Amino acid sequence: MTPSTPPTTPPRGDAAARPRRTHLLGLRSGEWALVGAIVVAVVLTGLIDSNHSYFRLPWQSLTDILRNTALLGIFALGATVVIIAGGIDLSAGSMIALSGTVCATTMLVLAPQAMQSFKPVGGAVVAVGVAAALLTGFMVGTLHAWLITAVRLPPFIATLATLVGLRSFARALCESVTQAVTPTKSALVNVYDPIFKAVRENVWVPVTVFVLLALFTWVLLTRTVLGRHIHALGGNEQAARLAGIRTDNVKWFAYCFGAMTAALAGLFYVANESVAQPVNQGRGHELNAIAAAVVGGCSLSGGVGTVPGTVLGAVFLRVVIDAVSKIIKTGADVYEGLIVGIVVVIAVTFSQLGALARGGTRLLPGALGLCAIPTLAILAGAIASMTAGRNGGIATGVASLLLLGALRVWESRRAPA
Amino acid sequence: MPPPAHAVRMLGITKRFPGVVALDDVSLEVRTGEVHAICGENGAGKSTLMKILSGVYGPDAGVLEVGGRAVRFSGTRDAEEAGIAIIHQELALVEDLPVAANVFLGRERRGALGLVDDRSMEAECAGLFEQLECTVSPRDRTGNLRVGDQQLVEIAKALSLDASIVVMDEPTSALTEAESARLERTIRRLVERGTTILYISHKMDEVFRLADRITVLRDGRHVRTVDRAATSPREVTGWMVGREIAGHGFHGARPRGDRLLEVRDLTLPWPEHPRGYRLRDIALDLHAGEILGIAGLMGAGRTELLEILFGAGEDTWSGSIRLHGRPVRFRHPREACAARVAMVTEDRKRLGLFADLDVAANVSLCALEEALRHGLLDRAAEDRLAEGPVRDTGVKTPGLHAPITGLSGGNQQKCIIGRWLLTRPEILLLDDPTRGIDVGAKAELYALIDRLCRQGLGVILTSSELPELLTLADRIVVLAEGRVTAEFPRAEATEARIMEAATAG
Repeated sequence: MTPSTPPTTPPRGDAAARPRRTHLLGLRSGEWALVGAIVVAVVLTGLIDSNHSYFRLPWQSLTDILRNTALLGIFALGATVVIIAGGIDLSAGSMIALSGTVCATTMLVLAPQAMQSFKPVGGAVVAVGVAAALLTGFMVGTLHAWLITAVRLPPFIATLATLVGLRSFARALCESVTQAVTPTKSALVNVYDPIFKAVRENVWVPVTVFVLLALFTWVLLTRTVLGRHIHALGGNEQAARLAGIRTDNVKWFAYCFGAMTAALAGLFYVANESVAQPVNQGRGHELNAIAAAVVGGCSLSGGVGTVPGTVLGAVFLRVVIDAVSKIIKTGADVYEGLIVGIVVVIAVTFSQLGALARGGTRLLPGALGLCAIPTLAILAGAIASMTAGRNGGIATGVASLLLLGALRVWESRRAPA
Repeated sequence: MPPPAHAVRMLGITKRFPGVVALDDVSLEVRTGEVHAICGENGAGKSTLMKILSGVYGPDAGVLEVGGRAVRFSGTRDAEEAGIAIIHQELALVEDLPVAANVFLGRERRGALGLVDDRSMEAECAGLFEQLECTVSPRDRTGNLRVGDQQLVEIAKALSLDASIVVMDEPTSALTEAESARLERTIRRLVERGTTILYISHKMDEVFRLADRITVLRDGRHVRTVDRAATSPREVTGWMVGREIAGHGFHGARPRGDRLLEVRDLTLPWPEHPRGYRLRDIALDLHAGEILGIAGLMGAGRTELLEILFGAGEDTWSGSIRLHGRPVRFRHPREACAARVAMVTEDRKRLGLFADLDVAANVSLCALEEALRHGLLDRAAEDRLAEGPVRDTGVKTPGLHAPITGLSGGNQQKCIIGRWLLTRPEILLLDDPTRGIDVGAKAELYALIDRLCRQGLGVILTSSELPELLTLADRIVVLAEGRVTAEFPRAEATEARIMEAATAG
């Protein structure tokens, strides 16, 4: 190829002509869709719920949802930062258990008499317990960052190890400390200090902490150099390093933020349940946090996600869980996992509806599609029969079968041979 | 039955993507058994046209005829069955599988009990490689192969499909001269067997050696199709960019300043390789206001050398690097940035761009500290910061907040150069900066590099294209297998002499 002269046309100066794309109230379209979905879920629950608890006891319903949202949201924000940085933290649930245990056992060691006789332990002791829990979060985050950047484990493996390891460690810690300090060893420590009780009885404490933390995280991600580096790291790690970003330090921050938010949430779990109970506290909740982030628009491949998205994702998950428990009158926890699973699938499918509608892909292709039709219909029927009785179950199953069959026929007609 | 006169006919093909018309009413006839080159700048629609031919996309309008029959592919499988094989610019091989398994991927041979019959596949694969002058064993792990050999694996796949039409999308962009020559022989052999070849390339010399006819696309439209004998490279490049391009060098009359960089006895060990080193006893100097070209084949150590200078490589090297006379040893690119050294990396998409960030954020990334107010990023200040280099480097973008992925390769590269200019570098390391960039944008980048150099920057430039080095560089250092084998002042450098030094063992 022949070498060539510079073009004679001057560079166009329109680079800055177009302003930054603005969003209504700063929310993106997917986030507005979430707002709409939350409103629809609340209205439907108010109408369908035969006890009409949203009308009769609005304050109590609101308190329940707010408390649960704040507790989930606090460490979902941590998960968001880790996910945007291109990582994953599977250990949040175990971190919650460990944090509560560290706080409670620290207080037990410092004030054994008061703890065992359910008397106030004093503000100083509580402060030391809380500080110890948060410090533990920092250390776990450091451990994660070390395993990932220095030992070079994939984040999934490193945090899988701490997911199983930390819970066991928390239980062992609880049993050794109770054995040393109290007459019998125990797998839980009761916490009746009035400070914790006040937190339990006053929902505004976790909500305020959640709101402040969300604001902090939002400023961090959108308005600081570190936040931009987190996005860059998650979007393209090698390019980030070659742009002079200390990627190892950014990861260190992200994992510490993830673990410390989980530690903070762990303190509220203890307050809420008046007990530090490492065996079951927070078990599996790391996946709810990841689900909230994903429903809120985070991409698990990193680089993409917003704080408002995650907040709305957490609110939406808790509203739907609450709605189902109100409508079918069971404990919220029975269907919680099922709801989270379905919401995640639907939310992510929803974001791909455009591609499906353009005909690029098919929902029910080939033999896989044929087998998926009865699978989905049976699932829908089974859920319906457990919640709405046998006839409802059969009707739902048959209706799903017919609907999916019709979709399959429509898709194969539409696609040209 | 005689073969139809036209292997492929495309009539009025139109393809729209959100926001752009990638192809606008393009018609193209490819005669059976010819080598048909398709030329055009990046974004001209070449790849989209080939993706329609190979079933990746369906056209929004228009008719596609293969072998005289109208077809409508709903996937690449359909295209393969119609005898069309495509060799993509980015190779689509499973690196962890052996070569033979890649050749037969998705069409595995089965033997007794329905188990995979590796032996017969390996035997057939070996036969195909023999035709292709490829010395690779069918059992080698594909990821261990050189890029040139990997490409032959793709071609072997096309041959094993018995494809009557083979599409090659810029096949020589990663090849050495020797590998390119081998590929040309392969193409001639395919043509002798009656295969029709569609050949996409930027490189005029190749196109004019190989093609029977040439089609030029520009901005999604068909410009013209001509016989090779009836045109010239200059005319074709003129059609591609929509204007004539005159030959011009940028070297000369650049004042040379102080010595910035002094490299002595630089050796980078390579324990797992029989040669034992990636770089050995490298010595070079760089002055302010000078462009030092580094020539060398793939694997000669060009990238490794720049990575050491930038603190991005393995920290196992020995020797000395002096910056302004003071010894330095960068352990992280951050330290290099602080010492006013900048590097534009070789693989723009993988090592340079942040696809999730907009144009402004991509440009401002290394100098964000300057956009802080009270410790927080100030968007307006960031925009002003990014605006300077975007304007100075002549980036064509719909706006500072447009997605960077919507820009052409040349404009993306200008953004990355602009990013580094914000760090006010004294030394700019450019690792093959115009790879995959079209002719017009290359000329603009050359002018930009020349201008920066005249402002007093010291530039080290590597390139896989010798004319580029000859156009820009004041001096050219030639690497061969990790050693400096020659150094030419601009006046003494010729393609032949450089190539001779680059292939010297």
